[in-house]
Parts: sequence; C-alpha cells; structure tokens
Amino acid sequence: MLKNKKFIVILSAIMVFALVLTGCGPNNPEGDNGGGGDGEAAKDSLIIAQGADAKSLDPHGTNDQPSSRVSKQIYNTLVEQTVDMELVPGLAEEWNQVDETTWEFKIKEGVKFHNGEELKASDIKFSIDRMLESKEVAHIVESIESVEIVDDYKIIIKTAKPFGPLLAHLAHTATSIVNEKAVTEAGEDYGQKPVGTGPFKFVKWDAGDKISLERFDDYYEGPAKLKTVVFRNITEGTNRTIGLETGELDVAYEIEPIDKGTVANHKDLQLIEGPSLSMAYIGMNNLKEPFNNEKVRKAVNYAIDADSIIESVLHGAGQKANSPIGPRVFAHNDTLEPYGYDPEKAKELLKEAGYENGFNTTIWTNDNPIRLQIAQIAQAQLKEIGIEVTIEPLEWGSYLERTANGEHDMFILGWVSVTADPDYGLYPLYHSSQHGSGGNRSFFTNEEVDKFLEEGRVAIDAEKRAEAYKKAQEIIVREAPDAILYYQTQNVGAQKSVKGFQLHPAGHHSIYEVSFE
Amino acid sequence: MTSSIAEKRDITSKNKNKKRSQWAEVWRRLRKNKMAMVGLGILIILIVSALSAPLIADYEDVVIKQDLINKLEEPSLEHIFGKDEFGRDIFARIIWGARVSLVVGIVAVGISVISGGTLGAVAGYYGGKLDTVIMRIMDIFLAIPSILLAIAIVSALGPSIINLMIAIGISYVPTYARIVRASVLSIREQEFIEAAKAIGASDFRIILRHIIPNALAPVIVQGTLGVAGAILSTAGLSFIGLGIQPPAPEWGAMLSTSRAYLRYAWHVTTFPGVAIMITILALNLLGDGLRDALDPRLKQ
Amino acid sequence: MHKYIFKRLLLLIPVLLGVTFIVFTIMSFTPGDPAQLILGESAPPEKVEELRAEMGLDDPFLVQYFRFVGNALRGDFGRSYRTKREVFAEIFARFPNTLILTIVAIAIAVAIGIPVGIISATKQYSLMDSISMVGALLGVSMPNFWLGLMLILAFSVGLGWLPFAGFEGASSIILPAITLGTGAAAIITRMTRSSMLEVIRQDYIRTARAKGVAEKKVVNKHALKNALIPVITVVGLQFGYLLGGAVLTETVFSWPGVGRLLVEAIKQKDTPTVLASVVFMATTFSFVNLLVDILYAYVDPRIKSQYSK
Repeated sequence: MLKNKKFIVILSAIMVFALVLTGCGPNNPEGDNGGGGDGEAAKDSLIIAQGADAKSLDPHGTNDQPSSRVSKQIYNTLVEQTVDMELVPGLAEEWNQVDETTWEFKIKEGVKFHNGEELKASDIKFSIDRMLESKEVAHIVESIESVEIVDDYKIIIKTAKPFGPLLAHLAHTATSIVNEKAVTEAGEDYGQKPVGTGPFKFVKWDAGDKISLERFDDYYEGPAKLKTVVFRNITEGTNRTIGLETGELDVAYEIEPIDKGTVANHKDLQLIEGPSLSMAYIGMNNLKEPFNNEKVRKAVNYAIDADSIIESVLHGAGQKANSPIGPRVFAHNDTLEPYGYDPEKAKELLKEAGYENGFNTTIWTNDNPIRLQIAQIAQAQLKEIGIEVTIEPLEWGSYLERTANGEHDMFILGWVSVTADPDYGLYPLYHSSQHGSGGNRSFFTNEEVDKFLEEGRVAIDAEKRAEAYKKAQEIIVREAPDAILYYQTQNVGAQKSVKGFQLHPAGHHSIYEVSFE
Repeated sequence: MTSSIAEKRDITSKNKNKKRSQWAEVWRRLRKNKMAMVGLGILIILIVSALSAPLIADYEDVVIKQDLINKLEEPSLEHIFGKDEFGRDIFARIIWGARVSLVVGIVAVGISVISGGTLGAVAGYYGGKLDTVIMRIMDIFLAIPSILLAIAIVSALGPSIINLMIAIGISYVPTYARIVRASVLSIREQEFIEAAKAIGASDFRIILRHIIPNALAPVIVQGTLGVAGAILSTAGLSFIGLGIQPPAPEWGAMLSTSRAYLRYAWHVTTFPGVAIMITILALNLLGDGLRDALDPRLKQ
Repeated sequence: MHKYIFKRLLLLIPVLLGVTFIVFTIMSFTPGDPAQLILGESAPPEKVEELRAEMGLDDPFLVQYFRFVGNALRGDFGRSYRTKREVFAEIFARFPNTLILTIVAIAIAVAIGIPVGIISATKQYSLMDSISMVGALLGVSMPNFWLGLMLILAFSVGLGWLPFAGFEGASSIILPAITLGTGAAAIITRMTRSSMLEVIRQDYIRTARAKGVAEKKVVNKHALKNALIPVITVVGLQFGYLLGGAVLTETVFSWPGVGRLLVEAIKQKDTPTVLASVVFMATTFSFVNLLVDILYAYVDPRIKSQYSK
C-alpha cells in the first residue's frame, strides 16, 4: 500500500517539475540555436563566448574590451589597423597631410549604414564631435581641434598641435563612425540600438546573456560569409572550454592557461595563439619610502623571476618583457636588456640602499585571479631577499581610487597599448603630468622622459618619433619605476571547422572573414 | 532588609542549582545520541588538529612555502593530499585552514549572537515602542539578502579575515534577534522573573542573569548550525572574489581558487571540499542532537 | 483578511525606505569613485571631477538620497552608471530569470523534500530513513558552486545530456536549479521528517489509529496537514534565501540573472543598479513572506480566526 503511495508522490513530483519547466522557457526568437552543430549542411551561424557582457554598443560611451569586441563587427573606423598593425584605409579612401596640423581625408562613396542611410562627411564630423564630448573616449581624440566638411566626401581634421599618432588613434574602436540620424533618434538608448557601417548589424541583446548580430548584406566590402554571429557571456573560464568541447560554442575567447592543452589536443578543436599588445607590471610608489630609492626598485626587479611567473601562472603564454611596450608596438626598443632573476644582486642592492635586513611592505591587487597568483609568487620571491610583503586584494573601485591618491606601496596592473603606438603605451604611464588617476600610478617623475614623450607626440616624422621613444624606454627601464613582467600571449579556442579566424593583437578580432568549412 | 537579601541569594543559588542539573540532563541526553556524538567527535578532532597545527607543519616553511616546479603534484606518501597550484602541501594547508575556517565561523556567529541576542533581548523584554523600532530595523536587514549584505560590506571594508567575520556576522544579526526575542517574550511573563523584579533586581541584571540563560537553548542550536552556514558563506564569498588575503590557507578560498584545476588535478579541489563538507556535517549532527537534547518534549 | 493584507503591504513602504537608505549609505561612504570607475585606469583628474559633478555625486548625501527616492516614486530608477541603460529595463530583463531559477529550484526541493521527509518519518530508523537523512546532510554540507561544477562535468561534459551554461532553453534550467535547490531540498526533508514525527506522536493520531483508521489515511489526512505548517514556513524562508543566494549558481552557470548583475554592480559602484535590484529583491521577499502567512491561515484555521479579529 505504501509502495503505491510512493509511486504517486514521485509521479506527481515529476509532473510538477515538467510543468514548471515547459511553462517557462526563455523567449528565444531564433529557431536555430546553433548548438551541437557539426555535420549540419552549410552552417553559417557562429557562437562566440567571452568572459563578460558588453557594457554598451555605443562606441563613444565606453572603452572596454568586451564591448569593443562586439562593436568592431558593427562599426568601421576611418583608418583601420590590420592584424600586423599596419594602418590601412577604412572608411577613408585616402588621406594626406596638408601641413603639420592639418589632415585631409577622402571618404569612400556608397558606404551604407545599417539603417539605409549613406555615409556622408557630416556623419564623420558628427562622430568626432561626439567623441570629443564624451568623457569616456575624449582622451583618444583630444588632439583634434576641429573637423571641417569640405564636401560630402571630404573632410579636413585639424589638430591643435602637431600630433604624430593621429592615424593610429583614428583606428581605435572608440573612434568608430556612427550615423547621426540613428544616434539622434535613439537618444540615451543608443547604446542598445547601435547603427554602424560594419559587416554585421545588431539584432538583439539579452542583457547579461548574449548579443545577436546578423549579416549586413549591403556591406561596402561585400557581405560576410556568416549569416549570424552570437556573442555569449560565459564568465567562468573553465566553462568556455567545456562549451567548446560539448559543441555548444564555436569560438571561445581567453581560454584559461591550464585548459590550453585540452583544446589543443582535442580532435575537433584548435587553439589559436598570438601576440597581444598587453603588458603586465608590478608598480612601486616612487614617492614613498623605500621605493623612492632607485636601488630598492632595482633590487625588486632582480628579485622577481618573471619567467617563473610566465611558466606557472600563464603556463608559458607570455614573453618576458624588456620594455613597457612590446615588440608589436611601434618603436619598441629591442636593445634593452631585461633585469634577470638574480637574488644575490638584489640583496647587494638592498644592502647598498641601507636595507640590509629588508623591510615590510604591502602589495595591492584587485580580485583578478591572475594578479592574485602573481602577487603570491612575488611575495615568496621578495621574501628571499628579506622583503616581507603583505598581499591586500582590493575592490576595483577602491583600487583605482586609492592608487590614484598614492596611498599604496606596490601594486599589480596591466596596460594595453591598443593603438600600437608608443604614445598610448608610454605617455599615461610615465609622463609626470599623468600622476595618479591619469595612469602614472607609480608616480614616476623624470624630466628627460617627459621631454622625449612630448617630442614623440608632436613629431610627425616616424624616424624622429622612434628615436625619442627608444630613448624614453631606455631611461624608464634604467630608472626602474616599476617591475615590468611580461607581454601576454592571447589565445582563442575554436572548432576545427571554423576557418579564417585571425587574432588581432589589440584583442578585438574581426569576424568578417570567418566561415565554416 | 536582611531577609530580602537572603531571599535573593536563595533564588539565585536555587537557579544555579537548577541550571546545573538542567545542563547535566542535556548532556546525558546528548550522550545517548550516537550521531551527535559522532559530530562532536569530528569537531573535537578538528579543533585539536587546528590547535596543534604548528606541531604538524611549520607555517613559513610548509604552509606558504612555494615549490613551483612540483605544482599540482598528485598525493604521495610524503604529501598525502598532494600539492596545489603553487606547489604547497595541501595537507598542511588544510590543517592550518581549520584554524582560519573555524575561527571565521565561530567569531562570525559570535558577532551575530551577541549583537542580535542583545537587540532581541532588549526588544522582547521592554516591548512597546523600543520593540517595534528594533524589530522593524531587523526586518529591513532581513529583506536584504544576507549574502548580498555580506558582499556589500566586504567590498566596502576590503577583503580580510576580520572584515569577512564582520560581514557574515552582521548579515545574520536579524535571525538571532528574532529567536532571542521570541524566547524572551515567553520567559518574561514567568514567575521567577516577577520574583526577581519584586526584590528589586535591575533590568540589566534580570536580562543578564535570568532571561538570557533561559533563552540560550534555541540560540545554541541555531548557533551550531550558524557556524556551518558561516563557513559556507565564506566559501561563497571567496568564489566571487571576496575571500581572505592570500596566501593564508582558508578552505573556501582553496576550493574556489583551485576550481580551474578541477579537471586536471582532482586532489586540489577535493580535499578542501571534503574538509568543508565534513565540518558542516559534524556541526549539523551536533546541532540536531542539541536540538533534541534541549527539547524537553522529546524526553522519553 | 483583506485588511491584514493591506496592512502588510503598507508595511512594505518603511521596509523599502530603510533598505534603500542602508544600501545607499553603504554605496556612498565606501571607497571607490563611480566616476573614476567609468573612466578607467587612465583618466585625467579634471575629467573625473567634471563627470562627478555631472552625475551629481558632489551633492550632499541626503540630497542625493532624496533625489533617488523622489525619482523612484515616479517609477524612474535612473540609468546604470556602467551601461547607461535604464536600470528598470535591465532589471526587468534579468529579474524574471532569477525568479524562474528560484521557483524551479524550490519546486525541485519541495518535490524531493516533502515526499522523502514523509517516508523517512513514517518508516523511522529504516534503511530508507538513514539513506535519506545522510543524503540530506550531504546536501546541506556541500558548497553549491562546487556541486554546480561537478554537475557540469558529469552531465554536460561526461554524458552530454544538458547544456553547460546560459539560458538557451528549458533544459538549461535543470542543472542550475538542482544546484541551487539541493540545500533547500535537504532542509525541507529534515523539517518535514521532524515535523511529521512530532505530529505522529500526538494524541489525536493515536486516537485515529486506535479507532482503526487505515494507516494511509492517518498519514495523509490527519498527520500531513498539521505537519506541513512548519514546512511551509521553511519553504518560504528558503525561497527568500535562494533568491538572494542565487548569485553563486548564476555565476557558475553564466545564468543571466539579477544576482550576478547585482554583484557586478556592487563591485563597479553602480549605485542605481544596486538600489533597484535590492528594491526588487526585497519586495519579492516580502511578498513571499506575506504569501506564506496567508497560506498558513488556510492550513491552520486557528490562525485565520486571529487575522479576522
């Protein structure tokens, strides 16, 4: 009798459960989820996973990587930067420099926006003026004084002072060209209703979950091969690899170092690796004792073994750094010798500096797991030379605020020279006018470096610029305001059937050329 | 005059005797509960090993000593739980971690019991407006999900062991305030309180000497389970990046930071995970046993 | 009864005011400048200042708080600092996901907890009882993000039966709901069992048995109804607890819920988003409590008569 009852209870439980399940599926307009995937004929829907949701698809409203990765597919810039960091025409057909501060751009004709409007010089002026108004991205175009419309397909950009890296800046995703009408119509909601000229147009954004894009058939370079692209937000690194393995994802950005082997050795998967423009460093507060002593800073450099960090934290996915800007950045100084791992020398330097018995200090980091690991290794290595370090993980908000105020001793941060130009990579980090929130959180001050950085900024001649930046790098490395660790190798995992995927060193990869086998 | 003092003394000593025999009775009943004794046994082993951690492994030379070449090494005779992602001995970290986890759990519950208990006792004893005000404030705190309150507090104060304890402690204050208030309400009207009042004992004294001891039973039960909850909350906070300061060994942090290695080195997550489970299990067994032992209705 | 419900709803107003005030205070007086966070690692101080002024962050604390309350009363929770999206729209898109997850998790917990609890109680000290009690204990002792990771490894990677993450369809909900519901299932099982045991010992059950009423009927009709009263409270409490605790499960499964949004917003000092999500959560929580109390009245007529006074 009780058996019977048990059965009924279980049955009803299952029924309740099933009822609830069927009653509450999400609103999923696309009939084809694209999941599972292989074997189906002519697959043309690509599912990409990245570790965070985009913030906004208004390129002038935010400057974060997850957003750029999506915006890159929707918009174009006047100038474009190839995966080899070469500057090539984008929406501008050609340009020439009239004088030191005047640039003339000829704009491609017949370029259509996703809303059917044709690209005109007025849209470009509107976009650049809008960037200048935006607090988030104004710093990228701040050199620009005015944009003048000559005719529908010609504009003149004037800079206040000569500005060497102008073209590289006009290739930054934050300088994407938007449509005046679309922006005005959408008002404050433009970030969720983007309209660009790119190969894919925006379809739908499920907040926190995924962004769906669709091929733009009137793309000026010809339609893309894929019909739809979906950017999914998969926070856990391990899960992105799992998604590739189960076939629910076609491409996954930022495979965890430990999972690289799994992807590389999987019969259906490929691991695509390549250099990036990012650099990781341990900063020191140059205004505070004992880091105001150059010898102490050098001792720290000698005590930290970047190779062991690359090996154990990144599983080899990095290259030991010899300068704050990497080899992919213009004017990288490859003659500089990195500080080697030499604890004896470090101890000697500490002794010379008067810290024979070491000292106690703190190292700050945010909750980034890689930085937490670096902190622990650095802590162990500094202990070897007598420096007792306490690790203090801070929330990103207080981390930024308090390092800007100079409350810190040591800290761990990274920097991406997105434009591949040394101005972007060096000026914020080392110019004395940028102390604190400007980016120079080491509070490094050196008149010579300031001079070279300014020189490189205003010079137009490439060779002259290169010379200034190489000298600046030399002094920076010699003075050791920070301990530069490595340039990270970036990776993407993908199904083997995915073809034509190329890594862009800046981290926002174009999907235009991608197709399925 | 003298007679009243004598009377007073008499009441207190009677109470004391009554209390002593009451606790002896509870202990007698608890001892009969096999599962509770298993729980208690496990806890004693944990506490003893936490206390003797320095004898088992040196903190500087073993617990936080890195050995990057041998990272993620499988368990062996030498390192019975294997090594973690920095090549540190997991067994030693678990033993030392018992200190951290138990202290965090106990202190967090201590914070919530003391502040929640006081608030609840005051609210229940005085009643009226004070009661309303305190309990409405508690309702407000209760309406903020506790883990979120903890997140807000930790991100405000910065992650450290002390801040974690405060955060978790504060988030459970309303629970204890409610429990204590309910018990106090039922005790307040009883004769011995009347008697104490009659002989002129101060409110403070009455609350401290008469009300609190008598409201203790549900608090002990809830507190035992609360320590378990606090340990789990700590693990959860570690998971979203608000754990303790590395390289201090804490089970939740060990479990969550090593989750990336779950598929390649089973031992790295399994041992801290099992350590958490066993501790929670033991606390639950003991808590259940205490509940039964303290509940006079179940006396058979 | 209606009067009672109305009174309870009125009580929601001071609670929400208190909740927002506390949260607003925490967000305002803790380190981390929203303007600095929006502008990132490299932002000239004067830009940060300008933005602060523009966002109204330089106004006195109380002015800011009452501005928020004033706007919120008109249904305007403002725009997220982070995404510049209308907070209300964002939460409206994500809150249902968390609610669905929590409801399914509770449904699973109830569907497992109550039957197992009843069986355990009716067959006290049997093998079944021991197994379910050990299971229940394991259920409460497992950190649930760990359980979630193991479930993904078993059912998505190993067996390939269920999606590994996200909300891609009805089957996506199974693993996260199990992860979230396990702890509650364990608690409900134990509560049901002990409550049943207590009721079974009561005199009227003995009387019913003595009168020769069939055991099945004794359990179903007499014992169950009375035993369920404390269980309902626990279910209600657990619902609130899961709603707030869903953040871990949401993170493991990349579930697009409001818990993850809230944690992200707290970390980014996105005050408008934090306030609005907390208001949503607190309101839901209060409604669930109210629902529990009403249910109570239906199950236990004694309470109902109290309300109608």
